[in-house]
Amino acid sequence: MKLDAKIPGGPLTEKWDRHRFELKLVNPANKKKFDIIVVGTGLAGASAAATMAELGYNVKNFCIQDTPRRAHSISAQGGINAAKNYANDGDSIWRLFYDTIKGGDFRSREGNVYRLAQLSTQIIDHCVAQGVPFARDYGGLLDTRSFGGAQVSRTFYAKGQTGQQLLLGAYSALMRQVGKGKVEMFPRREMVDLVVVDGKARGIVVRNLITGELESYAAHAVVLATGGYGNAYFLSTNAMSCNVNAAYRAYKKGALFANPCFTQIHPTCIPVHGTYQSKLTLMSESLRNDGRVWVPKQPGDKRRPNEIPESERDYYLERKYPSFGNLVPRDVASRNAKEQCDKGKGVGETGLAVYLDFADAIRRDGRDVIEAKYGNLFEMYEKITGEHPYETPMKIYPAVHYTMGGLWVDYNLMSTIEGLFVLGEANFSDHGANRLGASALMQGLADGYFILPYTIGGYLAGTPFPEVKPDHDAFLEGIANARQQVDRLLAVKGSRTVDEIHRELGLILWDYCGMSRDMEGLKTALDKIRELRTQFWQDVNVPGDSHDLNQSLERAGRVADFLEFGELMVIDALNREESCGCHFNVAYQTEDHEALRDDENYCHVNAWEYVGVDQSPTLHKEPLVFENVELTQRSYK
Amino acid sequence: MSAPTINLTLKVWRQGRTDKKGRFETYPANNISTDMSFLEMLDVVNEELTKKGIEPIAFDHDCREGICGMCGAVINGRAHGKERETTLCQLHMRHFKDGETIVIEPWRARAFKLVKDLVVDRSALDQIIQAGGYISVNAGGPQDANSIPVPREKADLAFNAAACIGCGACVAACPNSSAMLFIGAKVSHLALLPQGRPEAARRVRAMVRKMDELGFGNCSNEAECEVECPKGISIREIARLNRELMKAELKSA
Amino acid sequence: MNTLANIFTTSIGKKLMMAVTGLGFCIFLLIHLLGNLTLYVGRQTFESYVEHLHALGPLITVAELGLLFFLIIHVSTGAVLFVQNLRARPVRYAVNKWAGGRTIGSATAPYTGFLILVFIIFHLLNFHFVEHPGGLVFNTVSATFSSALYVCLYMAAMVVVAIHVRHGFWSLFQTLGANHPKYMPIIQGAGIVFALLVGFGFGLIPLYIGWGI
Repeated sequence: MKLDAKIPGGPLTEKWDRHRFELKLVNPANKKKFDIIVVGTGLAGASAAATMAELGYNVKNFCIQDTPRRAHSISAQGGINAAKNYANDGDSIWRLFYDTIKGGDFRSREGNVYRLAQLSTQIIDHCVAQGVPFARDYGGLLDTRSFGGAQVSRTFYAKGQTGQQLLLGAYSALMRQVGKGKVEMFPRREMVDLVVVDGKARGIVVRNLITGELESYAAHAVVLATGGYGNAYFLSTNAMSCNVNAAYRAYKKGALFANPCFTQIHPTCIPVHGTYQSKLTLMSESLRNDGRVWVPKQPGDKRRPNEIPESERDYYLERKYPSFGNLVPRDVASRNAKEQCDKGKGVGETGLAVYLDFADAIRRDGRDVIEAKYGNLFEMYEKITGEHPYETPMKIYPAVHYTMGGLWVDYNLMSTIEGLFVLGEANFSDHGANRLGASALMQGLADGYFILPYTIGGYLAGTPFPEVKPDHDAFLEGIANARQQVDRLLAVKGSRTVDEIHRELGLILWDYCGMSRDMEGLKTALDKIRELRTQFWQDVNVPGDSHDLNQSLERAGRVADFLEFGELMVIDALNREESCGCHFNVAYQTEDHEALRDDENYCHVNAWEYVGVDQSPTLHKEPLVFENVELTQRSYK
Repeated sequence: MSAPTINLTLKVWRQGRTDKKGRFETYPANNISTDMSFLEMLDVVNEELTKKGIEPIAFDHDCREGICGMCGAVINGRAHGKERETTLCQLHMRHFKDGETIVIEPWRARAFKLVKDLVVDRSALDQIIQAGGYISVNAGGPQDANSIPVPREKADLAFNAAACIGCGACVAACPNSSAMLFIGAKVSHLALLPQGRPEAARRVRAMVRKMDELGFGNCSNEAECEVECPKGISIREIARLNRELMKAELKSA
Repeated sequence: MNTLANIFTTSIGKKLMMAVTGLGFCIFLLIHLLGNLTLYVGRQTFESYVEHLHALGPLITVAELGLLFFLIIHVSTGAVLFVQNLRARPVRYAVNKWAGGRTIGSATAPYTGFLILVFIIFHLLNFHFVEHPGGLVFNTVSATFSSALYVCLYMAAMVVVAIHVRHGFWSLFQTLGANHPKYMPIIQGAGIVFALLVGFGFGLIPLYIGWGI
């Protein structure tokens, strides 16, 4: 298969304009003749569904929660980037484009990223018009802040709830269209299969989570906006229902999966406190501006932090990186925390945490100053852990929180299956090997509000569509397969719960395919995952039946896919014999422990084609061509 | 350093999807780490139930960081438990005493049909938003974001109202199962912003009518909603809603 | 007219009717109280107040009809709200706890309201629809409150009225949309003061008259 990204010709700055002109248009009167399925109601899904309905298409929108407003985009805290240059500090579309390409360690497409930077400004305009209450200055104009190490203030925010406010904006646009009858909403549905007829995506099969019924829906195009797969690790900052099913089922139907090993790990999260922890909570990275990271020098030191004298503490980041100290980049901070804990120096109940100490900052600046800066974060920490960071050092540990990999899409956001479009975190397109802070919201909304509504028209206008109804054989087959899987899961009646197995899978991925990877470990992981998958199908215990709301069965279906997908992540990591961004293979690093890229051999996208369970997928490569930026070693010195 | 553990007795409302009548079942919850959240405690109980061959308790939850609004149950007579400005997922077990009996009930309201155990159908809240909880603007051609200044005080007030997570605790806590705080928050959020003014009258009328139609109760100024709201939304939003409705009706043709 | 119909068919409209009529009753209570305070001064002052009042003639009738109209609205709307609110939660909670927003006044408003209605009828039968001995209202008053039972009944009724007013007073401001962080505490305070005033002002009359305290 030759991967054609369909990047338009011409200068970078004119590609999108030119493409929009070249795209075929659907006659306004004809739009209502097209049915489009959108799966997911996060920033990408809700914005796409609403915007396509505004244009006149008939949209069916599916979500897993009880209402579209709960999609996990809602949890994003920090903000959304846009090259508005309101701060007059030298920002521009080109700078946002360059920062994103460089931040992604040169593993993303120039054309896509430039378009993203271009559209960023329109997103802010539109969201303000929708009533999103962004932070403002006393003059009434929008406020921005610098975020995630960016040198310009380009991040728009709404307190620590930017994701929530943007999602509610998209949700309200969606609700408007539901009210008008242009979008039909299907909550509490989980996509279990993609239906492909004559090589084109023509519908989906979903499980109604309340009744357990399998339902078929036909359409002229299918849009997946189903988020990332961070929950493969069991513990992540993702919501509990985030999963890979929809994307993975599309992969099984022929859509290629790109760069599955690219997962981002955030250094400052509240650590795991016990075996039964279900979820990790992110704390703003800004804490590292004043907090000092340390562990006891002596492995296994179980004294309280305040009882450990200064001489017996190891401020390892300050020791190893004298110039950057506690402010080293995310991935370096994360990897070092893991290293210390691996040496047995980790603190807390589980030994999987390091201290982030504000005692010096409080002595230096006074408690008031620290409280003004971090008061709300300290409160949140206290609520969860019951400890006061003013009195005892905070405990932090890295956690999985975003996946850059996803289904491969071209410039039109169409996957390798015709008529299957993929948006937001579910696709792979814009962040390369590492995403910059406050860019996920930007990408989801750019895809949904401003890209897909154009490109899907280009597809629909130029494609003949024989009639396909939900009684087509392909749907019946999809339903039969799904039913078989459900029955199979319920029939095992083993002794282990779904969560136990998921937790074990998570640990394997975390240990071997997490912050740092090596060939031996990855090979071990491959064996372990396969073994665990066999165990799952022999010994899992799924109670209840299939004709009811059965949350164990839902989770079992998701874990079944993670058990196959985890293998794909490992295979991809094994294949990429370089380090880049968040993919850190210990064999490939600079003297400063920075990721060492191999641009000669790996300046491409890995896109995997499904062949069969227990069979190695076929690799396709999309070379990445850089005409406008120079590939440099990522260095933050 | 290890967190202390406590033993609890749970009285949980169990009701199948097709059951007309539910009942309370009693389960032990032993060796519960006080570091756990309430939902993690339920996870542990569910794992044990599963191993005993009893169907686990169905409950709604998703983000587990207090923002998605999916979780919620009445704990010992209090929506989301007795801690202030807290969702169930952020309620930690250190607030409970060893040996305590905890009664767990689903949200109760005519407008929220019970689905199963602790899971209820809150789609009525979506329907209220569909009736008018938006600004009618299509993606595509708005003016520059800074072309309409919004005084910071107004923007902050709008944000406070917009912080609603749609969990339904206000309805559950209201002695009358009224949704006034929910719609008050949305009407206020949009009415406070210049962008929302053009259709403010139409919006408030449509949303109030829809709310009434869906079988929620009437507000009787009991203020229980504001105490239980996990985002601390004030009943001032309800007063503003009342003003907006009066204004809308008095000015209407 | 259409506008009124539009407002009053909504839940908020019903609340507005409660608030507006409630405001009317508050004003009435205040005037009634001011008048009755003359009882504390003495028989003559009171009778002179009665005389002046009766001298208003048809105006009194208009006010009475107005009050009756308000009463019908307040009671019937209240009853509708009560039933609707009851129906809004068909399955009750097994454990009921107050979160901290409710007061005795708010929680019992429909019930105190009902008791007040009964009391009003009772009160009118006692004082309004009777022949006053010697044509003097004061004689009726002193006759009535010579009975310990009546004294107790009236005092209990005034406690009920005070509880009802304690919720009703601030509540009507909230319903009319007047809730401001700066002024609401004042309104709340004024509500409590008004309730105490009504409670004690009316409530001590039977004691004063009956037992001459």
